[in-house]
Amino acid sequence: MAADVAAREAPNRPMVPITYYLLLAAALFCMGMFGVLVRRNALVVFMSVELMLNAANLTFLAFARMRGDAIGHVSAFFVIAVAAAEAAIGLAIVIAVFRSRGSVLVEDIRTMKH
Amino acid sequence: MNLPTLSLADFFPLLPAILMVVGACILLLSEVFLSATASRAYQAVLTVVTAVAAGAVAVVMMFEPPREVMLGFGVLDPFSSFLTFVVCVGLGLAALSSVGFLRRRGAERGEFYALMLFASAGMSLLAMSNELITLFVNIEVLSIATYALTAYLRRGTRPSEAGFKYFILGAFSSAVLLYGAALVYGATGTTNLTAMVGPLGAAIQAQPALVYAGVVLVGAGFAFKVAAVPFHMWTPDVYEGAPSPVTALMSAGVKAAAFAAMVRVFFTMGQGIDPRLPLALFSTLAFLTMVVGNLMAIPQRNVKRMLAYSSIAHAGYLLLGVAALFVTAPGEQFRLLGPSELTGGSPLDIARAGALRGILYYLLAYTFSAVGAFAMVSALERREDEEKGTAWDLERFSGLAQRRPGWAFAMAAFMLSLGGIPPTIGFMSKLLIFQSAVDAGLIGLTIVAVLSSAAGVYYYLRVVVYMFMRPVPEGAQVLERNWGTEVALVVSTAAVVVLGIIPGPIGAWLEQAGTLFGR
Repeated sequence: MAADVAAREAPNRPMVPITYYLLLAAALFCMGMFGVLVRRNALVVFMSVELMLNAANLTFLAFARMRGDAIGHVSAFFVIAVAAAEAAIGLAIVIAVFRSRGSVLVEDIRTMKH
Repeated sequence: MNLPTLSLADFFPLLPAILMVVGACILLLSEVFLSATASRAYQAVLTVVTAVAAGAVAVVMMFEPPREVMLGFGVLDPFSSFLTFVVCVGLGLAALSSVGFLRRRGAERGEFYALMLFASAGMSLLAMSNELITLFVNIEVLSIATYALTAYLRRGTRPSEAGFKYFILGAFSSAVLLYGAALVYGATGTTNLTAMVGPLGAAIQAQPALVYAGVVLVGAGFAFKVAAVPFHMWTPDVYEGAPSPVTALMSAGVKAAAFAAMVRVFFTMGQGIDPRLPLALFSTLAFLTMVVGNLMAIPQRNVKRMLAYSSIAHAGYLLLGVAALFVTAPGEQFRLLGPSELTGGSPLDIARAGALRGILYYLLAYTFSAVGAFAMVSALERREDEEKGTAWDLERFSGLAQRRPGWAFAMAAFMLSLGGIPPTIGFMSKLLIFQSAVDAGLIGLTIVAVLSSAAGVYYYLRVVVYMFMRPVPEGAQVLERNWGTEVALVVSTAAVVVLGIIPGPIGAWLEQAGTLFGR
């Protein structure tokens, strides 16, 4: 089935090898992780988490394409839906933080340290 | 395209979760018709009734034969039913202790209980998940509801701070877990755990790096969820800042469900790959978590924060049990025998089955003791002191035995149980886990566990000393009684003491509950 899809869509064009997609996904994941750990603005930290989720999505899709089965594609849709729900609650919490202290910088969010 | 046909009977295994979702929808919809001043006492009652009903269904389902449900996306086995029961216990007790808590803050609204029910439905489904994407979606169902609960109180800076920290680290760990799941899917071509066992064995030969990276990332994601050291940094702040009944639900339900999913995933992986990898992973995590959790709890004067560190330490003892699950003799095929096949098993088979039972019993014991302790914390705190950070100081407990002897007795029972002192349920469950760890040959790790739990007794008994041996401080606050808190305290104290003396009633269940689908 994988061969069918490839033949139907691109008979003559050279395919981008799957490894490239996986490396791109790994790079996105690492960038996201780095962003969560070092960025100071809560919104950017939140964006970095989304980047990590999308890296996982890209990995699912690359493998699904390689194997030609549907479960990877379906997984990506589920992840997109979950990420949307997470964005809703995440932004609400960032707004709550902003209302209570007038700042969304991570270093300002630390009253509880002992 | 073939659409699957599902009969009504296929939905029976989901009944506890369905009950909780229906209860949550009733709470949300009924809130629309209430005026701001209307009595909302029925909301907690409805939540508790739902929890009791769902728990009763879970008990009935414990005796169903293990099988795949919903086209193999989930499984119904005694293990998952027992976990659902534990979640319902935690939910019911946490809902009871929120009655007085919310009333004192003027924050009684239907969505609080509805979110608790949604989170519990997610926990129950997580314990049943047999497929990586289902597992991820259920983790998110329970997490998103818990993020909202953590930041539920809008007054003050702490709840939003705790909510933010919980959200960022929770979403981060979910993403790590999901990326690991994607790699495992790439290596095996399936996300179904039962179907994965065979391909995993082949993939480990063909692409070992991909499989190991996937397994380690999934493990790290779960380590965040169960608050294992070194992935525990969020726990103390989140537990302190969240409303106390929510902390109770987090420490009991979320942790139990995460442990269930972790055991199920690694049980599958242990059959496909070398079980020594999960053994090494969990032994290291257990060692660090037990030692660091207990050491960090010792200097805490803030009782709520002390309980947060203690919950990390308890995750360590549970991880010791999980590590004991993966001990195999050289050359032996990893397997887990059900209760009926144990008579012919080797000593290691018996040790592994004992470890699984120990984990389940420990989760139940911890639910009763920790939710009770948090109920007591929420009964003693006052909103005015929260910003100063003295709402949970040890001084609050001074002379409690003279003012409210019943409360002091209950809190003493919870502290002894958390410390693992007989005759309490905490002692019995620690005994089960340590015993099976010794049987499995993890002697060194068990010695560390015993020593660190002896260190833990110090900070638990300090609370008891304050309650019984210190005078009542000048100008102490008036202690309000509330029916919800009283019922929660009576139920959990009774369970902690009675099950510690006669563990018989749930012994038979536990025998049964150590049955995992797909051995």
